[in-house]
Amino acid sequence: MTTASKLNRLTPYFFLAPAVLLLIVALLYPIGYMIYASFLDWRPSQYISEAEFVGFRNYINLWNDEAFRESFGVTLKFAAVVVTLEMALGVGLALLLDRNLRGMAALRTIFILPMMIAPIVVGLMWRYMYHPTVGIFNRTLKNWGLEPIPWLSDGTWSFIAVVIADVWQWTPFIFILSLAALQSLPQSALEAAELDGASGWQKIWHIKLPLMMPVLIVALLLRLIDAFKVLEVVLVMTNGGPGLSTEILSLRIFRTAQEFQELGVAAAMSNYLLILLMLLTTIMFVYNKAVENRAARLRAAAQET
Amino acid sequence: MLKSLNATFVATTMLVATATTTIAWADGHSKGPYDDYKGQTVTAIFPAHPHYNAVMKVLPEFTKETGIKVEVDQLQYLKLREKSTLELTKRQGDYDLMSYVVFSKADYVFADQLENLARFFMNPKLADPKYDADDLIDGYVQNIGVAGGKKGYLPGPTGSLFGIPFGSETSVLAYRKDIFEKHGIEVPKTYDALLKVACQIPEVEKGMGGMASRAASGHQASHAFLLHLAPLGGRVFDDEWNPIINNEAGVKAANALKTIVDCGPEGATTFGPAEAAASFSQGTSAMFMDSIAFAAGFEDPSKSKVAGKVGYALHPEGVRRGSQTGGFGVGIPRNAKNKEAAFLLMQWLTSKKGDLMVAMQGGNPSRFSTYENADLNAKYPYSATFGEALKYADPDWRPIIPTWGKINADIGTSMSKVLTEGLDPKEALDGVAERAKKIMDEAGYYTWK
Repeated sequence: MTTASKLNRLTPYFFLAPAVLLLIVALLYPIGYMIYASFLDWRPSQYISEAEFVGFRNYINLWNDEAFRESFGVTLKFAAVVVTLEMALGVGLALLLDRNLRGMAALRTIFILPMMIAPIVVGLMWRYMYHPTVGIFNRTLKNWGLEPIPWLSDGTWSFIAVVIADVWQWTPFIFILSLAALQSLPQSALEAAELDGASGWQKIWHIKLPLMMPVLIVALLLRLIDAFKVLEVVLVMTNGGPGLSTEILSLRIFRTAQEFQELGVAAAMSNYLLILLMLLTTIMFVYNKAVENRAARLRAAAQET
Repeated sequence: MLKSLNATFVATTMLVATATTTIAWADGHSKGPYDDYKGQTVTAIFPAHPHYNAVMKVLPEFTKETGIKVEVDQLQYLKLREKSTLELTKRQGDYDLMSYVVFSKADYVFADQLENLARFFMNPKLADPKYDADDLIDGYVQNIGVAGGKKGYLPGPTGSLFGIPFGSETSVLAYRKDIFEKHGIEVPKTYDALLKVACQIPEVEKGMGGMASRAASGHQASHAFLLHLAPLGGRVFDDEWNPIINNEAGVKAANALKTIVDCGPEGATTFGPAEAAASFSQGTSAMFMDSIAFAAGFEDPSKSKVAGKVGYALHPEGVRRGSQTGGFGVGIPRNAKNKEAAFLLMQWLTSKKGDLMVAMQGGNPSRFSTYENADLNAKYPYSATFGEALKYADPDWRPIIPTWGKINADIGTSMSKVLTEGLDPKEALDGVAERAKKIMDEAGYYTWK
């Protein structure tokens, strides 16, 4: 290869280099900063350069911190419950509303309204609806002669209350993605199934769901990431209480930085969350690859018929 | 002829020189304290708080009197804390005068970010001899202004003044005069009586809670617990930083809080200060024991259903009297640009005249004399009771140390578990003590043991 052709081959890289460098700096610098901070005993009243380097102390201490462990448990439980409910309801609604009836377009728009509201407003709205005396739920229960529910003043009920608010807001997200996936399914596969005499349920289990799976996995992943990071709704509704019953990890991180002024510890907590989410994402992507291959085979089979 | 001309010239020169010197002398010594700072601008950071809303109304008067201009950034309290913390780490800050919440005293003084006010009060050109510092509410000064003495955050032979209380608060008992009169209930003066009345009210007034209290998990539950701990004889730490929160007095305070919440209005375990105050002002609770800052709202008929029906009494006595101290103070950042003008503003605002002006606009007085003022008492009839309560203001009802945020949160979540999950108070406080000991150890409080 001549020098001129070598130079020609490298020219695009020279032109791209500044943009790529900028992108790497913009993306990785804050993450690098957080990783570095997690090894420090750093208070907001200090420059980062003045903070003491403590190695892995923040990471080790966290596992001896009962409140952190409890908060981690609450986060796992919360993410598992809300994502399962949202997936079931979102996909179910999409299957139900995937038909061309009059007024269906308006109904679909109404269903996606909750996700357009700012989470802080959602938190406030539900907090007042759960109010022990003037809230709509307890007033209705009282009017029916029933005992009021301690929505936000009991650990178990508080957790349920927060789950309901999250499910209310984010089920529509799964719903619109599922609906889009359903509407792009190859009609030939469904028609073939019908010709073979498949029932409604059989079509759902054996055709629709497997073909939707790649989209559903992405939706599940996005919701899982979000559920692990939820903050505003819980902050406004319960502020983590009663006790630590709704103290999800993001709230614990926020309090550690803001109230306890331990920036290094907060950074270490964030890194634990980051590692967990990276693990989940990797597993999901590997699984998604397998599912996509299966869906592609199904589509190919459908086209052959 | 020449001689006489010379004599006239010498005489005239001497006269002019004498006159010039006299004028210069007179000029140098008759200058007012504000003249050198006329035209300067003091930039202040204040919280969005009723006291500072009142301050905003009197600031034009300061500018008119002194010629010093004032620019204010008024921020929501948490934002203020965040912004101030960042500002103080800069080499040259944007603010000359800074309002800080009491907890921040520990952080700012420890990081050497606030000016020691001695050098201003020692400067005869700046310090007003009529300032009368003895009139400042000493409980507030000790709690908010002084650091470096006993336990590091209290006064003592090694302590110094870093701020002046401004927008500070104590606790009083607000009660429904009409309900108490209707059932012949006496205003509780002791804790035993308070707890008895708190549970008597729901029995005699259907649907009404005894006392509205903060109780929400975290800071609110901790605040409520500590409010009872001091008068019942307890402290969080002894003088050597050993946690003693789990002693008999601590358990008594936790039980007192539980009784109050159990006999309180519906949903009391979720109350922050605003919800508790709303419960009282909307007539669903007969008592409210918290900051004096809420009184103005209770007496405002547009916001309160109980305006004119509220009586105010001292925080009841346990084994001792001890009402809370908290709220805000003002200090001068080390990195401020116009420190002397900032001091003049701080001194003017907290002077007898300034304090009264702010109080008349609805602010919280920092001086005993303001509470005794006839005009103020005519406008706010509860002022005399508040002034009396401040004689018992306890500057040490909670520690002001850098590790407090974490310990405070732990007390709060543990108390919340006592109130909502039936956790045994002794077990909860033993846990708090054990964890607090570890936190204090890590922070080096046992280095000298």
